[in-house]
Amino acid sequence: MSLAADAFVSQMAAAEPWPENATLYQPLKEDQILLSDCASSLAVQAYLRMCDLPVQVVCKANAEYMSPSGKIPFIHVGNQVVSELGPIVQFTKAKGHSLSDGLDDVQRAEMKAYMELVNNMLLTAELYIQWCDDATAAEISRPRYSSPYSWPLSNILAYQKQWEVRRKMNAIGWGGKTLEQVYEDVSQCCQALSQRLGTQPYFFNKQPTELDALVFGHLFTILTTRLTSTELAERIKSYSNLLSFCRRIEQSYFESKSS
Amino acid sequence: MDTSLDPLPMHGRDLGVNADDWVEPPEPEQEAKQEILENKDVVVQHVNIQGLGRTKEDLLGYEISDVFHAKNLIDVMKKAHVARQRLLRLGIFNEVEVLIDTSEGADALPNGLDVTFEVTEIKRLTGSYNTMVGNNEGSMVLGLKLPNMFGRAEKLTFQFSYGTKETSYGLSFFKPQPGHFERNWDKDFSNRVLHLAVLPQFPLGMTNHTLKWEGVWRELGCLARSASFAVREESGHSLKSALSHTVSIDSRNSAIFPSRGALLRINQELAGYTGGDASFLKEDFELQLNRRLFWDSVLSASLWGGMLYPIGGQPSCIADRFYLGGPTSVRGFGMYSIGPQSEGDYLGGEAYWAGGLHLYTPLPFRPGKGGFGDLFRTHFFLNAGNLCNLNYGEGPRAHLQKLAECIRWSYGAGIVLRLGNIARLELNYCVPMGVQSGDRICDGVQFGAGIRFL
Repeated sequence: MSLAADAFVSQMAAAEPWPENATLYQPLKEDQILLSDCASSLAVQAYLRMCDLPVQVVCKANAEYMSPSGKIPFIHVGNQVVSELGPIVQFTKAKGHSLSDGLDDVQRAEMKAYMELVNNMLLTAELYIQWCDDATAAEISRPRYSSPYSWPLSNILAYQKQWEVRRKMNAIGWGGKTLEQVYEDVSQCCQALSQRLGTQPYFFNKQPTELDALVFGHLFTILTTRLTSTELAERIKSYSNLLSFCRRIEQSYFESKSS
Repeated sequence: MDTSLDPLPMHGRDLGVNADDWVEPPEPEQEAKQEILENKDVVVQHVNIQGLGRTKEDLLGYEISDVFHAKNLIDVMKKAHVARQRLLRLGIFNEVEVLIDTSEGADALPNGLDVTFEVTEIKRLTGSYNTMVGNNEGSMVLGLKLPNMFGRAEKLTFQFSYGTKETSYGLSFFKPQPGHFERNWDKDFSNRVLHLAVLPQFPLGMTNHTLKWEGVWRELGCLARSASFAVREESGHSLKSALSHTVSIDSRNSAIFPSRGALLRINQELAGYTGGDASFLKEDFELQLNRRLFWDSVLSASLWGGMLYPIGGQPSCIADRFYLGGPTSVRGFGMYSIGPQSEGDYLGGEAYWAGGLHLYTPLPFRPGKGGFGDLFRTHFFLNAGNLCNLNYGEGPRAHLQKLAECIRWSYGAGIVLRLGNIARLELNYCVPMGVQSGDRICDGVQFGAGIRFL
């Protein structure tokens, strides 16, 4: 969004308090949603729960096309439609809810850097494994992505998406990587996160921030999603503090609500 | 009687010619010639077609076979003329010339005739550039045509259309049934809307039926960030696979300014039983009656209506619903701006009706009569209509009641211009009435261009 549009949205957002009927849209949970979308959606849900903002999750088959930026998830709050974690964090900030207010400038810069790391490494690795690995694409990604549509539209859309992601991977230089190299990259990313986390409960000591929500979203989804091989989950399980971090957030923010 | 078949030359002193010199007794051949011209039986022995390149002869056999049945020379000329028209309407020849001559050769009969059609085949590839006016939108169309591709009048057309409302491209293949040119199979592909239609058409008595199977890949998207959420919810891809049947009876004497006759067209569409995501039953009809009154004025009454019934519990898609309003339907209202709406975006409705009463008169004082002025008419109109969603659980009485409440109507006058035999331009002064909250009106002067008007 341009600066002017940003400012406009902030002004509009600040005018109204968070409504009761805020909704978050994602693809169908059982049959359609893929690893990367599920991770992004879980990250946003975790963030909103950490801010103590109520949101209802609605699953729609055309959620990807409904989103103004084409990415999942997006939230419908009052009259506004905002997609992706970054803009949603800004949106909630304009309404007066923020998790990173207590951080100083250095910490904030660090937080942004780690969030970029997760987006560039973890998210890209997820996309790679889903669409560029032939076995996963054929067994899982294409059938799931095309499940709401009838033949022949289902095939056309699935292949279209696959070509689009592969083109993007080539553009950022991941096209030539092998699966092993991708797993290595994920390991390195997890190592960096693990080192930063250390023995603390959250990345910035006592209080969770959007970085915690993002990391939780991705790691938890990878750990609980069935892929063609368990290699990715194993790499993460080797970092025990990340495992306990995920469990902690799940217990604090997700289990208490569902009981 | 027949002093001579040539006109008598002038005689005067200068020429030094005596009229008596020129008068000769009529020759026997001239008498014989005249007999053939009038009533002597002839037999058509050979009918040839010259100039064929890639066209296959069996296709043409049907068109020219009638010439063999001619019995005298006048008949031969008439049948040859009809055959020439039929050859031209296949669309594969640039020019067709007919040559009738006496038979020659070993098996020639004394009263035998040979008829030869000299044809020039059309080029293999032709291009075209057109501008097109539809219902309140204009577009520019570039076309490439491959006529007579395989020699049996098949035609492959590629068309790219760039318009004010829609951009599309299409590929279509047309193959006539040999011997029955009117029965044809038309396969049509176009994109973004991807559209495949198989379309046999056949007349049955006075009615004209069309059966169509249509496969359409639709992609809907929000054009503006500020589109209402109800429209946003319909974004995405969908596939419609539908069978439709249209029956029409048209006894009007013209498509644009008919002065008498009636038109009834009923269309039904069933989607979902042959695959696809959309599943519904859609009915709509169009009725028009025309009657000439005093002084060259024509009274025309028209009625449109339609109903969409979603099958299988799924809600209907915004692309399948009916829309109402605009200079081509209920005048005085904005384009498609009647009925259910959300934050300024019109969502269409599942049932509608619209009626119009028009009085067409020639321009006052008839300027340009007999020529340009005949393309214009003034018209006074009264339009009414309603568009809403029905609750299908209730009975027909409740439906009629719902359609009868909140009727929008308008009246006014204007000038209509005929474009060819297909389209109309209108400039009207409208007064909309019965406006409901949410409708957008266009009172005052309204301009409209299109093909199908209420």
